[in-house]
Amino acid sequence: MVAFAIRVADTGGGVTQWTREKAGVGGRRLQTVVAGDGGGGCCKRVKSFDFIIPFLYPPRYHPCHLTLGFFHGSAEKPVAVEHHLHEFGSLQYHIQSYASEPRHAYLSISTPLLSTGSSVLTGLPHHTIETVKRISRDVIEIIEPARSGYQLTLKLDFTKLPRKKKYAVKLITEISSVQAVVLSSQLREMLRNVNAQEISQGTYKPIKLVYHPREPFYVVKQPAKLTAVFPIRFKEESEVVIAKAFFQELVDVGSSGVCAKAPPCYWSPIPPPELRGETMEDLSTNGGFVSFEIFPRHVEGKKLDKTVWNLLNFNALVKYHVKCTKGFVQRRMRSRLESLVEALQHTNMEEDQPIKKVKGRRGVKRLLKFTRCTILIRRWNLTKKIKAIRSRIRIHGFSKFQRRWLRLPSFASIRSYQKLDKSSSFHSF
Amino acid sequence: MAGSSKSYITCIRNTLEATLCLQIFPCQEVERHNKPEVETKSCPELLLKPVRTNLRLSFQVLICRNEAERCLIEASINSVRMSVKLKQADELENILTKKFLRFLTMRAEAFEVLRRKPVQGYDVSFLITSYHCEEMQKEKLIDFILQFMEDIDKEISELKLTLNMRGRLVATEFLKQFI
Repeated sequence: MVAFAIRVADTGGGVTQWTREKAGVGGRRLQTVVAGDGGGGCCKRVKSFDFIIPFLYPPRYHPCHLTLGFFHGSAEKPVAVEHHLHEFGSLQYHIQSYASEPRHAYLSISTPLLSTGSSVLTGLPHHTIETVKRISRDVIEIIEPARSGYQLTLKLDFTKLPRKKKYAVKLITEISSVQAVVLSSQLREMLRNVNAQEISQGTYKPIKLVYHPREPFYVVKQPAKLTAVFPIRFKEESEVVIAKAFFQELVDVGSSGVCAKAPPCYWSPIPPPELRGETMEDLSTNGGFVSFEIFPRHVEGKKLDKTVWNLLNFNALVKYHVKCTKGFVQRRMRSRLESLVEALQHTNMEEDQPIKKVKGRRGVKRLLKFTRCTILIRRWNLTKKIKAIRSRIRIHGFSKFQRRWLRLPSFASIRSYQKLDKSSSFHSF
Repeated sequence: MAGSSKSYITCIRNTLEATLCLQIFPCQEVERHNKPEVETKSCPELLLKPVRTNLRLSFQVLICRNEAERCLIEASINSVRMSVKLKQADELENILTKKFLRFLTMRAEAFEVLRRKPVQGYDVSFLITSYHCEEMQKEKLIDFILQFMEDIDKEISELKLTLNMRGRLVATEFLKQFI
């Protein structure tokens, strides 16, 4: 899981500030609409920006969770607040509270729906509603019918939240993860009925599931099994190659004895026959198609939740693996670069032995020079004599005479000259 | 396989030893310029023939280990250019080689003798001038180039194995969740 944090700060007047500290995998767009006029009900758009959350984000960092936490904190003040949150570009939240009802908040959720052949079109499945109610019957009340444009609207009573902060946070976390329950309900419903013999021979129609708008996948019901087909698309060629290597391993491991009971997995560069009849746009991929065959034994009891979670997040898992692998390759290359540069530094001339020998020769020359000069100087003691020859003749009282009668123009040096300044010379002339 | 690699490396070493007899030689066309003749190719008489020459008139030595691996050595009076094509057995090796060599050539200033852009048809090129031979020892320079070739080959093989191993581990963990 990628570590990251989102900081929320109340800047006064009910305005919330969201700050991204570190990015993870997968992109989400957050749009915040906040009203902070203290009961006037006037809504004002404050900020709209992008931030990134990993696919396995901790629920306590979920934007919905943070918003609900903020509402809970400001429940005592009569403030009218309205938030629109967008996740993955297609999942929408609408959180609303009125000044007239300061202790209540309304949370509406809208999810992308199945294309065809689903019971979800008529509303959320019964067991999904039951799961939502089971979170807390005191705090949560399901409003029926839901607000227009949303599948589910919850009325939250903050006065009935547990007193202890720990339990209150836990409950808010569960409420904020309702979207996961709603999203997975479609697939869960299908997997629950894997064993149902309701489809006649030859009428297997693939159902397109859009968990992420750019990464739809297909579910095909067949007798006593369900096939999930994932079209894989990547932007870069290198990513495709890494993903293909991963799929190869996935197929090998699936067919080996270690994971014999796991769902059989297949990869093919062309669309599988189950997807015949789908649009060209949906079938054009650069990473091929990965298929999993889910049998009733994979959805028994508690395995159902895990299977649903794994299938919904398979695309995200592949992308995360590719990203991590690229990072790993980059780290390896960096370390190898250092070792190669070190190897080149050893080729330098200065560090070599023959140069030292040359230095030794110079030393011998110096010694010879030293002997010739010093022997002569020491023998004849010429230094004092030379100094005496070079020194001026001193006449007592001559300096006074010179200062008075023989005044000569002074020069800084015989060899040097003073450069005339052009401007000054012009002025003087 | 190891034997063929050894003979390939020995052949490159011998050729480099023969061709790396460089001297400072000024440009014949531009005054007070000293350009690597192997790059400019302005005067054909300054491009040296291979030492163990065949009957054909050629200024290049091409050493091939197999169809995929080869080394081209071009010599002149003041510079030598050496280009290497590394083996790329599959897509993954191809991508890794491209990524790694691009990473290195982007940092060519650290290697001094590495050319920023490889010769067409090759993966990596070195340009050794007479100045490099003055600064560095010839034997050690040849050792470095050969070690560079071997290291990259080894690194790419290791990377490929590690990537497959990582993929296998992730796949195993993923499938275990269904059991």
